[in-house]
Amino acid sequence: MSLIRLEQVYKIYNPGLESQVNALDGVDLTIDQGEFVAIIGTSGSGKSTMMNILGCLDVPTSGTYYLNGAAVSGMSGRELERIRSSQVGFIFQGYNLIPALNVWQNVALPLCYQRVGPKERRRRAMEALTQVGIADKAETRPSRLSGGQQQRVAIARAICTRSPILMADEPTGALDSRTGQQVLLLMRQLNAQGTTVILITHDNAIAAQADRVVRVKDGRVVDDSLWHREEARP
Amino acid sequence: MNALIMALDSIWEKKGRSFLTMLGIIIGVTAVLVLVALVAGYNADVTAYYEKLGVNKVEVEVTWYDPTRSTDLTDDLARYVNDDLGQLTQGVTPSHTLSATVRHGGESAEEVTVSLGGTQWDVCGNYTLDRGRGILDYDIENASPVCVIGSYLTQTFFPYSDPIGQTVTVNGHALTVVGTLYQKDGSQEDSMDNCLWTPYTLDRVLLGSAYVTRYTVKVDKSRDMDQVMTALERYFAQTVSDRLGEVELENGNAAMSESTSEMTSMSVVLGGVAAIALLVGGIGIMNIMLVTVTERTREIGIKKSIGAPKWEIVTQFLIEAAILSSLGGLAGIALGYLLAAVLGQAMYGVVSFPGALVTVGAFLFSAAIGILFGLYPAVKAAGLQPVDALRSE
Repeated sequence: MSLIRLEQVYKIYNPGLESQVNALDGVDLTIDQGEFVAIIGTSGSGKSTMMNILGCLDVPTSGTYYLNGAAVSGMSGRELERIRSSQVGFIFQGYNLIPALNVWQNVALPLCYQRVGPKERRRRAMEALTQVGIADKAETRPSRLSGGQQQRVAIARAICTRSPILMADEPTGALDSRTGQQVLLLMRQLNAQGTTVILITHDNAIAAQADRVVRVKDGRVVDDSLWHREEARP
Repeated sequence: MNALIMALDSIWEKKGRSFLTMLGIIIGVTAVLVLVALVAGYNADVTAYYEKLGVNKVEVEVTWYDPTRSTDLTDDLARYVNDDLGQLTQGVTPSHTLSATVRHGGESAEEVTVSLGGTQWDVCGNYTLDRGRGILDYDIENASPVCVIGSYLTQTFFPYSDPIGQTVTVNGHALTVVGTLYQKDGSQEDSMDNCLWTPYTLDRVLLGSAYVTRYTVKVDKSRDMDQVMTALERYFAQTVSDRLGEVELENGNAAMSESTSEMTSMSVVLGGVAAIALLVGGIGIMNIMLVTVTERTREIGIKKSIGAPKWEIVTQFLIEAAILSSLGGLAGIALGYLLAAVLGQAMYGVVSFPGALVTVGAFLFSAAIGILFGLYPAVKAAGLQPVDALRSE
């Protein structure tokens, strides 16, 4: 059974109006556990909409989305909250850290929503920060960190819940290429440990580092190819 | 617990904005409390004035058309009031006054209210004898040159000595002090304590003519006022013929009830002003809360995207709004009481605080507005799809 399955998913904005946009126009997609998938497309291709739906940040207009075999499309708000909390970790282009909280508090925030005790929260936040290599900044406010460091914090936040799926929307978009490369390396490591990684990008060079590239154009999947999967999994 | 910490963090993080939110509540609550306290202060001031002046008095003025055909009613009226109306009254006195300069040694007191009174003048004027004696029948009959002095004169002329037996002069006429009165109005020059009580039979000496045409009847209980008024009207109808003169009776309590009703209508107006102040404060709270939540929709989006349940977000905003509103309310109460004390002292010399009901009411009203308008947009934002909340910038 596949981890993620989209069947004829549509996302339509302003239906019936002149300004109608079919952001997703009948997408079928299957992703298996442990894959490293890049979804690539130009701006306006619908790739971000696809990620929002895959991550339960948004709901499709029509079609069915199965996660672990369960139809997400019909779920209540509360069930979607539970999925976001326990199944998916997000990394955004703009980091989306909360400025009022310091680094470790930001990382520990998702654990609050899982009713993890304060000591355990701190322990796991520090563990995640160690994993991304900035445990020394734990007490700092995000605004005092560089972009690369902030993105590491965001990754730490995404992984500290030990969610099986990691979704990244242009995670390197705001970073210089060297830092971007480090972030990608981090994601590769996580994938090697069993996390399913879905990476959204417009950059072919970055997409090329994934095992599988799904090309999206005008809301449709136009190409779905497996690249050097064998090399990536020695 | 978690939400509480987050709420406190967020309040502290945005100190300026938090203060602005509270400001609306502070102003609203303060305005209401101060207005209410000032009305109460005015109220107390007026009541105190009338209490000092003495309540339940009937003022009588007899106007003779031809003074040469006048009759001295004093003894007869005193007999009638004390015997026939004795159950209902405390006393009666002639109550003619003049303003005079009183001197003793090198000291002088200006604008002293000199009362030409009878033996019951103190009772009728709401004064109490302190030292010595009052004016007695003997003094009245013999027109003794004696007087009883108010506490302002006692303090001015005899700060360190016994005033009894000393002599003061009223417009140049020497009077022996036989008694002193207790202070009842603060002992200032412009107070009711700047007074002197002397036998009315000295009228020829002090005024140069017989002039006893005014009387004060002190009634025991306010509910008997009408009955006494009626009895007095009947009495004067018999004693003062229409052809010789006329008599005017005035109910002293009417003046007080006039002031009281004036005060009541003023409280209504001020109450309206206070309500508007509270409403404007409420609108201020509403605005800042709306802005706050709108600008934090993104934060709500972030939290939702990492799995925050809707109720958790709502709880956090609820706690924030509740803390801000109650802090603002408490600050408003503190400021309101402080201003009420300062202004009350400055304007009326009386410190009166707003009642507990008003205090709690104003507090609850602004807290309710703060929480309601803090919560409503938060509930709305928390109900958004995370992606829509994230998109807001």
